[in-house]
Amino acid sequence: MIHFYYSYQPVIDFFLLSLGFAYSQQIALRAGVFSIGTAGFAALGGYLVAILATRTEVPMWVIIPAGAAIGALGGYVLSIPLARLRGAFVAIATLAFVKVIIALALYFEDLTGGAIGVTNIPRIMDTWSLALMALLVIYVNWSIGRTTLGRIFAALAQDESVAASLGVSIRRYHMIGFMVSGAIGGLFGGLQSLYVYNIEPNAFGFAFVVTILTVVVLGGRTTLLGPIMGAGIMAILPEVARPLADNRTMVNGIIMILVITFLPRGVGDTIVDAVRHRWRQRRGASRPQKQEVADAVASD
Amino acid sequence: MPSLRIENIAKHFGGLKAVDGFSMEVPPGEITGLIGPNGAGKSTVVNMIAGVLSLTSGDIKLGDRSISTDRTEQVARAGIARTFQSIRLLPETTVLDNIVIGFHRHEKAGPLAALLGLPSATRELRELREKAWDLLERFHMQEYAFLAAGNLAYGHQRRVEIMRAMASDPAILMLDEPVAGMNDVESDELAEIFKQLAEQGLGLLLIEHNVGFVTRLCRQIYVLDAGRLLASGPPEQIVNDPRVIEAYIGGASAA
Ligand SMILES: Nc1ncnc2c1ncn2[C@@H]1O[C@H](COP(=O)(O)OP(=O)(O)OP(=O)(O)O)[C@@H](O)[C@H]1O
Ligand SMILES: [Mg+2]
Repeated sequence: MIHFYYSYQPVIDFFLLSLGFAYSQQIALRAGVFSIGTAGFAALGGYLVAILATRTEVPMWVIIPAGAAIGALGGYVLSIPLARLRGAFVAIATLAFVKVIIALALYFEDLTGGAIGVTNIPRIMDTWSLALMALLVIYVNWSIGRTTLGRIFAALAQDESVAASLGVSIRRYHMIGFMVSGAIGGLFGGLQSLYVYNIEPNAFGFAFVVTILTVVVLGGRTTLLGPIMGAGIMAILPEVARPLADNRTMVNGIIMILVITFLPRGVGDTIVDAVRHRWRQRRGASRPQKQEVADAVASD
Repeated sequence: MPSLRIENIAKHFGGLKAVDGFSMEVPPGEITGLIGPNGAGKSTVVNMIAGVLSLTSGDIKLGDRSISTDRTEQVARAGIARTFQSIRLLPETTVLDNIVIGFHRHEKAGPLAALLGLPSATRELRELREKAWDLLERFHMQEYAFLAAGNLAYGHQRRVEIMRAMASDPAILMLDEPVAGMNDVESDELAEIFKQLAEQGLGLLLIEHNVGFVTRLCRQIYVLDAGRLLASGPPEQIVNDPRVIEAYIGGASAA
């Protein structure tokens, strides 16, 4: 994904970038869409931002939102033909979408620089601005959790025909899920461009897809904490395993297998479940007073 | 409140005529029964009304409007709620939030307000949870509010499903064997609630194998057998109808 320098700041930056991509991936899963299109959205945002930043005088406060906007547009367009697909078929179709975006990036050489990509992108993002953007995305995801939108997404993920029987338009909310996933993916694709100096098509290939999926599977597919834990583990793991030098990749793999076997819901979701469970046991299940209701909502 | 009218509907699965030219009316303010032996086509009728199954022929009207080609969510939005014969809750979601989703039809805050965390959206969830608590109290289920719905006992799950359907404040409520597997005390409690709903003006469609339960509650009963109407009329007439007795005793068991 990005180059990995041997000091802490890059570890944090890497963490923040993969956190954004992980939320893009997670929101699709939360809405019951098995999309792995995040890499494609990131490429759309990444290229648009890189091109605008290197070739035009458009101000940054326009360029960065433009990355999010093209990602959302990509999500919208993608949701139309995919409306009838479910499960693994969605995964395959979105993977094809990623391939198409990469192929387009290779083909339109004049614009994208082909296989070489876009170079000499100004580096505008630093740890602080990345952290700010990550907070923005966390805020959006937190908001979903304390509104009915989060309930609707959960319903779609668990049993969409029940959701439909309650008047939920599956098509509409899958589209919303795709668009939010696209907007976050596009936003962070753009931020990545403004951090890494140059981008090339392969940066958005299979390795990207697998890394982001791993973050969400390790961390958790439904809670706010999920991507934070997942991205944290993925950022720290190489550091921890570094003394093992040659065996590092293997150690990574083993740790992942262990986590997935023993915490199938992911580290973050498991922690949140446990805390919630204890909180409810302590409080009992009587009807909360108004203020408690507000707290309960905020804790989701 | 509008009346639900089913006009000569048919559903054929290949050669199998699950429902074959059936008509009935579910008027507001009363409970209408639909009975019949196993495999008679009762659930198929419900699924056709709910937009889950397409009609082979016939028409379904809510008030003056035909809903026979509406999708499931459009039917729900038009004010027809249902429960499922095989309970379908959101197993990982809390009981409270299972009910909250039932209110979806009346939500006002759009998705953008939710994404931005605007007060209009967060306040709405708070208000809907308050209403869900009201329902929980009515069904004496407060103590289960924060349990994952999938962990509840069968009878309690049924009740959550009924609360969820009621949450949408429907004009028509279709209950596919709502008291199956419940004891007499539990089913009497529900019977009381169904009566109250009818008094409020809802039209209830009650499917049930327990003939005693249906005859106590319904003003009008339709008997379905092999996809066709066998008899219809007030309870006294139905229980004494020799064809009905024949269908139940001669046909599949009437548990
Ligand atoms: N999706 C389907 N495909 C094929 N056949 C079906 C389908 N759904 C129902 N059937 C058949 O249609 C007939 C009517 O089924 P239905 O479930 O409506 O009966 P029912 O009256 O609800 O019975 P029960 O009392 O057992 O619930 C049965 O013979 C059933 O096997
Ligand atoms: Mg049935």
